[in-house]
Amino acid sequence: MITVKNITKCFGSLRVLNNISFEIGNGEIVGFLGQNGAGKTTLMRILTSYLTPTSGDVYYDDLNIQNNSLEARRRLGYLPEMPPLYHEMSVKSYLKFSAELKNVPVREITASVDRALSDCRLNNVCNKRIGVLSKGYKQRVGLAQAIINDPDILILDEPMSGLDPVQILQVRTLIKNLEHKRTVILSTHILSEIERIVQRVMFIKAGSVIKDTSIDSLAETENRTFVVKVKSDEQFLQNVLKDITCATLLDVKTIRDCCEVSLSVPRSEENVNTIAAVLTEKRVSILEIIESRPSLEQKFIEVISEEDHA
Amino acid sequence: MPKVIAITKKELAAYFKSPVAYIILVVTLVIFNFLFFMIIDQNREATLRDVFQAMEFIFLFIVPLLTMKVFAEEKNAGTMEFLMTTPTNNNVIVFGKYLGTLLFLSVLLLISVVYYGIIEFYAAPDWAATLSGFLGIWLEAALFLAIGMMTSSWTKSQVVAAITSYVILFFLYFSLTFVKYFTGSAETVIKYISTMTHSKNFFVGVITLTDLVYYLSGILFCLLLTRLSIETRLWR
Ligand SMILES: Nc1ncnc2c1ncn2[C@@H]1O[C@H](COP(=O)(O)OP(=O)(O)OP(=O)(O)O)[C@@H](O)[C@H]1O
Ligand SMILES: [Mg+2]
Repeated sequence: MITVKNITKCFGSLRVLNNISFEIGNGEIVGFLGQNGAGKTTLMRILTSYLTPTSGDVYYDDLNIQNNSLEARRRLGYLPEMPPLYHEMSVKSYLKFSAELKNVPVREITASVDRALSDCRLNNVCNKRIGVLSKGYKQRVGLAQAIINDPDILILDEPMSGLDPVQILQVRTLIKNLEHKRTVILSTHILSEIERIVQRVMFIKAGSVIKDTSIDSLAETENRTFVVKVKSDEQFLQNVLKDITCATLLDVKTIRDCCEVSLSVPRSEENVNTIAAVLTEKRVSILEIIESRPSLEQKFIEVISEEDHA
Repeated sequence: MPKVIAITKKELAAYFKSPVAYIILVVTLVIFNFLFFMIIDQNREATLRDVFQAMEFIFLFIVPLLTMKVFAEEKNAGTMEFLMTTPTNNNVIVFGKYLGTLLFLSVLLLISVVYYGIIEFYAAPDWAATLSGFLGIWLEAALFLAIGMMTSSWTKSQVVAAITSYVILFFLYFSLTFVKYFTGSAETVIKYISTMTHSKNFFVGVITLTDLVYYLSGILFCLLLTRLSIETRLWR
């Protein structure tokens, strides 16, 4: 378990983190979301004991990481924002070096390196010099370094940046496989990438956690939005829609000879049936009804701007 | 400590993989060769002292070039964040890196003196003075390296690191030349911190405790300051 108590971080007179507190349980996968400059990287650096907070404490279980940083780092795998690579080294020798520094027992080093190489799909470049690798491969080497000591706590700062879609899927599987066994914290801007792997998201804005919620409850909204696609004339449809009282009309769009109606409906199956019944009664032929779920991107923008209005 | 060895090996390998190190190696040998023959030409016979002094002078210029990257590059490339989040004691990091640079310089020193050794062999040398001269020049280089590494830990910029260490090294090296403007305790202090005061004893075959203490404590002092600076992330 990671416990964060009243963390504040100032750089000179600039207050970058403002009294942040939270707990992350064992086996949880948590995403940090926030705009550029929100303080995600700074928070992660404090969680890894790389930076000392101006005030406040971080604990791994009962271990205060400022006072016992070596002990804490034994349990940690960290991928910094910029993958920390020695360009003159080969992939394999770099991973071996990482394993040595991370207290992997001598007898297990070869096995650990091989496992990290295959987990990050690096086998075909293992003897290449890191400096000549493409951006995505460099990112993978950074990731391989983070998991080489099979850490309990994995902190990944934008792990997907620069990866191709196939590799993103692989990294997603890799992280998903750690679920319940390891605690994983990751930050990203590409929200759709983490939607399916994190259980919990923390929205960070201007150095504060403004929302901390499970991914499921984030998807739940009071009203559901349905898009009904019908074959009809817009004028006629407008009249029909007046008879639908259980829903709020959001938008009507005509696309070629079809109309797309967006409706906001209070949570209840009944209402969808009512809409369908009204339309059928008026002989409007329904082509499809789909529920449009708000994407994490939309939620992100909503949450971030909600605060601005408040 | 296996981790010290791992870091030393990595540091040493980095030198041998970079063209800069080879350029320094070649340039040093060329300059040394040149100075060496100039000395012979002038004196008709090579005295040990002149040769060691020439070497000392060369090291004054090349050591900052060797050490400037030690920490500055790590900070720039973001690998410092990696090093400092592995369960590795800061003493181990500083010592491992120091050992790496010291070994590289020792190799350079050994290569530099090979042909000198050959000549000396036929000239029936004073072995005691030769060995103490080597010890002296090696300690001097070790001190220069510690200073260079310390300045590299202060900044992200290799250029700033090199310039800062030139300033410190030149001050230590040349301080004896302006000691005549000082009197009393200032004079004593300047005489003591000047590297020339101590190295010249070694070059004529005299090893004193004071001189050993000067070099060893100087090295230790710089290594401690280096550790302090990476601990407090002084470059931020
Ligand atoms: N060493 C530093 N000195 C001064 N200010 C800093 C330092 N590091 C970060 N900051 C400032 O702290 C703020 C937060 O930076 P941080 O890198 O944590 O943001 P972030 O959320 O990771 O952004 P991004 O999404 O762009 O990665 C920024 O305003 C940044 O300028
Ligand atoms: Mg960041």
